[in-house]
Amino acid sequence: MSATAARRPIAPLVIALGGDVLAALLAGPRVASGFGPGSDASYDAARLVAVYATLPRLATALLAGAALALAGAIFQQVLRNPLASPTTLGISAGANLTLVLATLFLPSALAFGREFVALAGSAAVALLVLGLGMRRGFSPLALVLSGLVISLWCGALAAVLVFFNERTLVSLFIWGAGSLAVQDWSIPLKLLWQVGALAVLSLLFARPLGLLDLGDTSASALGVKVAALRLGSIAIAVALTAVVTSAVGVIGFIGLVAPAIARLAGARRVLPLLVWSSLIGAALLFLADASLQTLAGSFGDYLPTGAVTALFGTPVLLFLLPRLKLGHRVIAASNRNPRRRFTAQQAAAIVLPLLVLVALMAILFGRSIAGDWEWLWAGMQADLLALRMPRVVAAFASGAMLAVAGVLLQRLTGNEMASPEVLGISAGATFGLAVGLFVTGIAGFGGQAGFAGIGAFSVLGIILLFAARANFAPERVLLAGIALSAMVDALVGLLAVLGDPRALLLLRWMTGSTYSADGNLAVALSISAIVLIGLALLARRWLDLIPLGPAPATAVGMSLSRSRLALYGLAGLLSAVATIGVGPLSFIGLMGPHLARELGLTRALPQTAGAAVIGGTLLLLADWLGRTLVFPYQIPAGLMSALIGAPFLILLLSRRTQA
Amino acid sequence: MALGQVFPSLAANGPRVVSLDNGLASTLLGLGVTPVGIADRSSWEKWVAEPLLPPEVVDLGVPAEPNLEVLAALRPDFILTTPYLDAQLPRLREFGTVLRYNSFIHEGAPILDMAIDVTRQLASAIGRVDEGGRFIAGMDSHFELCRTRLAAVSPPAVALAYFMDARHARVYGDPSLFNDVLGRIGVANAWTEPSNQWGFQGISIDELSRIADPAARLIAFEPIPPDLMEALKRSPLWQKLPIAQSGRFSTLPPALSFGMVNEAIRFASLLTDLLEQGA
Repeated sequence: MSATAARRPIAPLVIALGGDVLAALLAGPRVASGFGPGSDASYDAARLVAVYATLPRLATALLAGAALALAGAIFQQVLRNPLASPTTLGISAGANLTLVLATLFLPSALAFGREFVALAGSAAVALLVLGLGMRRGFSPLALVLSGLVISLWCGALAAVLVFFNERTLVSLFIWGAGSLAVQDWSIPLKLLWQVGALAVLSLLFARPLGLLDLGDTSASALGVKVAALRLGSIAIAVALTAVVTSAVGVIGFIGLVAPAIARLAGARRVLPLLVWSSLIGAALLFLADASLQTLAGSFGDYLPTGAVTALFGTPVLLFLLPRLKLGHRVIAASNRNPRRRFTAQQAAAIVLPLLVLVALMAILFGRSIAGDWEWLWAGMQADLLALRMPRVVAAFASGAMLAVAGVLLQRLTGNEMASPEVLGISAGATFGLAVGLFVTGIAGFGGQAGFAGIGAFSVLGIILLFAARANFAPERVLLAGIALSAMVDALVGLLAVLGDPRALLLLRWMTGSTYSADGNLAVALSISAIVLIGLALLARRWLDLIPLGPAPATAVGMSLSRSRLALYGLAGLLSAVATIGVGPLSFIGLMGPHLARELGLTRALPQTAGAAVIGGTLLLLADWLGRTLVFPYQIPAGLMSALIGAPFLILLLSRRTQA
Repeated sequence: MALGQVFPSLAANGPRVVSLDNGLASTLLGLGVTPVGIADRSSWEKWVAEPLLPPEVVDLGVPAEPNLEVLAALRPDFILTTPYLDAQLPRLREFGTVLRYNSFIHEGAPILDMAIDVTRQLASAIGRVDEGGRFIAGMDSHFELCRTRLAAVSPPAVALAYFMDARHARVYGDPSLFNDVLGRIGVANAWTEPSNQWGFQGISIDELSRIADPAARLIAFEPIPPDLMEALKRSPLWQKLPIAQSGRFSTLPPALSFGMVNEAIRFASLLTDLLEQGA
């Protein structure tokens, strides 16, 4: 034991230094090329690039990495939550969204300083996430759930804005994804004093923060003002995030991974944790950026490092996951017994008329070419109907399938946050589509479904593997899913940045546009939905028994492992097919089951049926809004439903805790 | 709801043509046909500017995803598209005769010649052969005029660039529409390296230092976002660049590099005006 303790302080140092040395080796040649025998020309391009682009970029990487890691370490310590970080709490995304909004609608605000604009966004998200978390006793999962939902929402809104201001925002788009490209020393110098000041402040908080580990009452007894301490530390972490985001955009996962590595390497007490996290974070981002620049060659300047950190961060995280000691047991399902509001009949009486109403509106109400709102009446044009019907059908079928997949996954994992989107299964399906598109140039529903299926099942397999090793602890499954999701997003994003025309098709899948839905796709999706949802309804007994645990299931002679496997497979198929229709972004798989339960549909059969109808209706509504709001331009249904769904989900989360 | 009631002038006037490409749309105007609808109508003023687009031309949305409901309602006789939008071909054929022209992806012939060839093809396809001949002859005489005006000021070589961000630019070498226009009006292209098939080369701005001619001028196309110009002015890589010094660097109002005859004419006028002033 003492031997381990003595060795420990060395481990973080080795990791931090190792990363730096490796990165320096990669970046070295490029810097050195600028300091060779100077050319006689008045404009020595190589030297100028080394001095004003390459070196300040390295400095920016080190500073931004350190700042994000420090912010992550503070969040994790204060919230006593190993999953907390600027990425997972949505703080980075909030900062980015306000910057995008300000650039588009209030450029004068940027004159006050980009930091302050970013700070407004990150502080607002922090207040929202922590406010919601407080109601649930700062349960780590609840916090990260709200954070990720807000993060996805901010990301979706920023994506829509960028989509419609494509040409003006090209540079912003690259930057929004975390580009470290700089033209001179102004950014690293600014970061140096800002991050430096905040780091010194945070070190002052280190000792009292350590006392929090004794518990709030003991800490108070020792004279620590617990609430003020928490608030102050969080403010520092939020400011660190805002400063970095305003300078270089969103860089994911450094703030999550670096403190985890530091802790694993033996940093236990607060001060070493903060110091080593910062150093490791700096090394990580430095290494990520240097590798990117080396590997990507001439594309290096365009590729956003922030997207690539997810590629680095995820494997590390997955590797760490089984070894990570989660200091807190998580209340997985806080509401096994929600109030029964309505009977199944009453719920149907509410939901079905709504469905009919939305469907009629989606088919009959639209915009004329002059942009006026108009109804299609009995003598309406058949050609318009032929254009709208496939999209309406595709949206409904996909939404229904996603919602049913959500029901299956939530019942299987006993985790009310599980859904194809959150677990990364939809992202896996998208990645499968991307691979299929780039490798074989697939066309047609069958081929697409095949590749989407392979992607979805790969992710599902990885999740199950990790879940089994972690004894199905919900937080681990979830974290693995989030990480995989981010990794797939990053990979798809990279493919898109490389500028292939096929990226356009990929973007359509990513954003969940029903634009390409024709009669054939609508029919294929409908048949899949009927068959797969039918199977889920047939499995209602399994679905009722599985959440009760192994004893009741075996008592009625049911093979738990085989039925679980079959249901996971069904959920994978549902997610894969639905992704072809509406992409990986929509929150339908999460919202459908929640809403059904909220209505009082708790047993498997009514919940599945209810979720299917609700999910389909929501996506129908999203598709209609996306088609009509900005006519003749269109917002993809997946993005639109994420925009509607996320605030709704937040509302739901906050309402539930009051009850 | 019949279209004639909404836009009577369109219903009465020649073939109903829809264009998903701005260069083809401006060529239509050059041939005396007003398109009933075009894609990306909302950004015409920003990227094409000239010729002016009549207000009754309907917006079809983004070129890669033209709004099919609008397309159906316009009942076009012809839909003009480019190879860049080939993914949409099967869908488009449901709505009218699709005319697919390659006017800007280099395939051997100089791009200006391709644009002229496509103009002739389009003119004959929509029954405007005479107008097509006059349109191209007008371009030739315009180039001659510019050439004469410029010969009087013995113009410097010019490098033509569009800024992507504060570090990167596209420069237009050979093959490109603008390079061919330079040849016709008697101005040397200072950027002698070849372009890609799209008619530009993506470079880092410090690579502009490879232009050896000390008299050469750098001309950047607008729109340049204001924050980008600010970032450039702060960048030492730009400040110290010889060709970026005042007197050698200027900007030019937008001209569509993926354009055709009208864009070539516009570019020739803008450049001639600029170089005459600078002389």
